[in-house]
Amino acid sequence: MRKIDLACIIDDDPIFIFGAKRMMELSGFCNSFIVFKNGEDAINNLKPMMNTRQPLPDIILLDINMPIMDGWQFLDEFIQIDSHKEITIYIASSSIDPIDLKRAERYENVSNYIIKPISLNTLKRILGGSL
Amino acid sequence: MFIPNTQIKSSINLLDFIQERASIGTWEYDPISKNLNWSNETKKIHELPLDYIPDLQQGISFYKEGYSRNTITQLFTLCIESHIDFDTEVLIVTPKKKDKWVRVIGIAIIENDKCILVQGLFQDIDKKTKNAKELAFKEQQLRKTFETALIGMAIVDLEGNWIDVNNSLCNILGYNKVEIKKLTFMDLTHPEDLRRDHQALMRMIKGELDDYEIEKRYISKNGETVWAQLSVSIVKDNLGQPEHFVAQINNVTQIKKNRKKVSQLLETTKNQNKRLLNFAHIVSHNLRSHYGNLDMLLDIVKIDLPETTNNEIFPLVELAVSHLGETLTNLNEVAAINVQKDLKTEPLNLLNSFQGALSSISALIRESKTTVSIDIDTDLFILGVPAYLDSIILNFLTNAIKYKKATEPAKIEIKTNISNDFVVLEIKDHGQGIDLKKYGDKLFGMYKTFHRHEDSRGLGLFITKNQIEAIGGKVEVSSIVNEGTTFFISLKKYA
Repeated sequence: MRKIDLACIIDDDPIFIFGAKRMMELSGFCNSFIVFKNGEDAINNLKPMMNTRQPLPDIILLDINMPIMDGWQFLDEFIQIDSHKEITIYIASSSIDPIDLKRAERYENVSNYIIKPISLNTLKRILGGSL
Repeated sequence: MFIPNTQIKSSINLLDFIQERASIGTWEYDPISKNLNWSNETKKIHELPLDYIPDLQQGISFYKEGYSRNTITQLFTLCIESHIDFDTEVLIVTPKKKDKWVRVIGIAIIENDKCILVQGLFQDIDKKTKNAKELAFKEQQLRKTFETALIGMAIVDLEGNWIDVNNSLCNILGYNKVEIKKLTFMDLTHPEDLRRDHQALMRMIKGELDDYEIEKRYISKNGETVWAQLSVSIVKDNLGQPEHFVAQINNVTQIKKNRKKVSQLLETTKNQNKRLLNFAHIVSHNLRSHYGNLDMLLDIVKIDLPETTNNEIFPLVELAVSHLGETLTNLNEVAAINVQKDLKTEPLNLLNSFQGALSSISALIRESKTTVSIDIDTDLFILGVPAYLDSIILNFLTNAIKYKKATEPAKIEIKTNISNDFVVLEIKDHGQGIDLKKYGDKLFGMYKTFHRHEDSRGLGLFITKNQIEAIGGKVEVSSIVNEGTTFFISLKKYA
């Protein structure tokens, strides 16, 4: 069982954010979480956190289709930044397009591709290390 | 005058000889005694026996009724009465009722202003006349063909002048024959196409080419561009010297226009396809994200507000949401198969694929007591996409088990045949069978696709068929109710 202190959700869909937060609370998934509403918002906030050695999230749930900066663009920028902590990234998308799944495989930092909806079970499996 | 006997004889022989060789007979008519004499050759030409004795009336009656008989009667009368010689070509009818062309010459011998004798020649010109007439007929036929051909035709001399053009060509170019003959083909050719045309003609004159075909443009009288398919061949004399060109010019302006229309349509279709693809994306992504949210919210409601779920409605909402999810998954699969047209296929071992599929459903096979017999060569390879082949095999196997007879376990037989470049995979169950007369059209259709029903065969087979076709194969079925169903799946053989 892994211990997650800080979880990060990058998603533009308020319903998903509401649901994911609630599920995390219900399952005791983490102690706290931060939310960014698109890739740019996330990069702009995470970058200084990483550079100033502030506490970083243990995991990131990353949506693909977002306005301004999408999930792929976020990943491309994110992997350029030196991190003092290992961050596990899960892509959480409702796309079941095989092209997206293949593309996700190309990123070393991406642990898995979770097809929405996420459920309590999904979160448990992340905690249990089986995802 | 004394003529020695021998000489008379020999000159008569000579005359006979000449008459026979030249097919020329002689005749004589004495208008006073009304005696008519024919030489032997004249009788032969008439196809009459040599002892035949002619008289005038009968002689006339051999001429073909109508024009020939009238002509000869008139000319003969004129000859005797007005002393006008004649030379004419008319028809006689032989005793065998055969028409024969003859040339008849008559010369009046006058004494004291009176015709005392008509002397004449009688020549068989049947063969010559018939040949000439046949030739004339053929010439006329050719001319008519040339004139009435729908395709534009022309005879062009080596300098490019029109020797002859037909009506169609005039119509295509908008000039009449007189106008067109004042111009060369160069004057009528679109300037940009002139060089190519000219080069080809030069090569033909040099003997490097016998004919050529190009698509070129002419300029019609009213200045419009006319697209034409031009075929030209060169005509040479017996010594191989070029004489003239024969050109066929087909107006393809309309075809060109249509082609343009077709390519525009193609473009439209491509755009529409792109939009469809976008639509598929919208379905797969946007709709799915809404479904995902609904599903997630229901989960939360169950935990957060358990009291609101304990009623008749909540489970129905849950069911509806889960059906929505399945429908979207199915839609997406269908869209994905239809979108990927240039699939990368690879050689796949058919037997291995079957064994893989069987082991993945080994529990189902065990529980249902299904027996499966496989007769596939270990070294048989087909061309396909691994995921598709697995899905195809699995679908047929699970269908066979699902639609077994209620009274006995399923029995599946699998074998293969080679047919040209295809492997025909035969999957035979001994199950319920399908009434193909009733359901044949719908078997592989999307008919039941979005109607949730206990048997989801509609969609399964629809997707399977699409997958088979996507890898270049096809599927056929034969079935007898209560005896079972056999699917014949043709897959591209890997050589």
